[in-house]
Amino acid sequence: MANAHEILNRIKSIRDTMKITKAMYMVSSMKVQKAKKKLADTLPFFNGLQTQIREVLQHFPEMRHLYFDNRIEDERELVKRRIYIVITGDKGMAGPYNLNVLKEARAHFAESGDYRIYCVGETGRHVFMSEKLPVAEDFRMSSNNPSIHRARVMCEMLTEKYKNEEVDEIYVVYTRMRNSVSSVVHTEQLLPLHTSRFLADEARQAKPGVTVDASEMEIFPSAEDVLETLVKNIVTGFLYGAMVESQASEESARMMSMKTATDNADAMLAELSRQYNQFRQAAITQEITEVVGGAKALQKKKAKKKQARMG
Amino acid sequence: MNTFHLQIITCDRVFFDGECESLIFPGFDGQIEILAHHAPMATTVAVGEVRFRDAEGQMHAVIVSDGIVNTADNTVTLLAFSAERPEEIDAHRAQMALEIAREEMQRKQSIVEYNLTSAAMARAMARLSGAKRIHPDDFNT
Repeated sequence: MANAHEILNRIKSIRDTMKITKAMYMVSSMKVQKAKKKLADTLPFFNGLQTQIREVLQHFPEMRHLYFDNRIEDERELVKRRIYIVITGDKGMAGPYNLNVLKEARAHFAESGDYRIYCVGETGRHVFMSEKLPVAEDFRMSSNNPSIHRARVMCEMLTEKYKNEEVDEIYVVYTRMRNSVSSVVHTEQLLPLHTSRFLADEARQAKPGVTVDASEMEIFPSAEDVLETLVKNIVTGFLYGAMVESQASEESARMMSMKTATDNADAMLAELSRQYNQFRQAAITQEITEVVGGAKALQKKKAKKKQARMG
Repeated sequence: MNTFHLQIITCDRVFFDGECESLIFPGFDGQIEILAHHAPMATTVAVGEVRFRDAEGQMHAVIVSDGIVNTADNTVTLLAFSAERPEEIDAHRAQMALEIAREEMQRKQSIVEYNLTSAAMARAMARLSGAKRIHPDDFNT
């Protein structure tokens, strides 16, 4: 029975694949936990930065700084040169995770005139390079194991470009975790900062009892210097957070797709082993039928001989 | 002695959150000390050693990377990318980082690279000098 043998082979190969998907599932679930913890750890820092920038803004509401979106020069610029930082995974096998990011990024590219793409993660790089989109060559970042160091390097590169006015707007396209099972692609404007948003946040989060009189606050050495540090910290912190959150989403997407793959393999195995059993049973039945048929034929032959002798 | 609430927050943990008597940090032009009921202020912190005396009078030393200090309503918030106790510092690693940074400095670099290496160098040097003084009591002298 060549067919039964084929089925057995298939069952074996599916079992082997299942071992891989199961292992990947476990690895991803560990990585999700790690990334989630990292994300939670950065929250107090990030909230603290937001509070401080808000306070500075509160004291100097009319401050027009390069880093803010209320500059008069900005309004004169007709074409905005943009940088899109696209955070994808380094590898595939993560369900729709990479596809969703790429889709959102492409939608943004379509509506901007002058832009460059800074890819974090190899998948995005490969895809955009093969599509002949303007990918920055001098920016090679892996998205695996995000570190503060990597965020620092990115921040330094970006703020330098921004300060030299080589670029007007910087966006980050990354994946946010909505909860442990679903995530959503999100685009955030990194620079210039939205002043209005910080001030709106203030109204929402204002703690009763904590009030600072605007005229009283001292800023050393100057508001500009403090802002410079704050903005760098915010950019670095945000990039780090975005990378960590993306990684958490990636691993969680991989976890889910590996779970589906394992479940699928289980279903296939059940179906195949049913088929195999059917074949085996058919083979046995056939053999029995053959034996019985043979025996019957022999009996008939004997009976005929008997009759002939009698007759 | 009067105390104030001090929070030292780094990007991966809340390093310290409690009452303390005094905070000394490297400011933009030298050491700055903050005592209780300081006027509202915001300023930058350079890479280096931060010292603070907690409510029990115990002196603590922390090596921080650059950050921001903010005081309001008798609460002081210090935000820095990293904060380490001297005993947590891996002197060997810091020494390596310093040597790498020194080597990098010799090369021709772009402005971005220069900024990154000089910051790395400052951090490595701050760590090394912090690691040499493991005991916080040494700071009292």
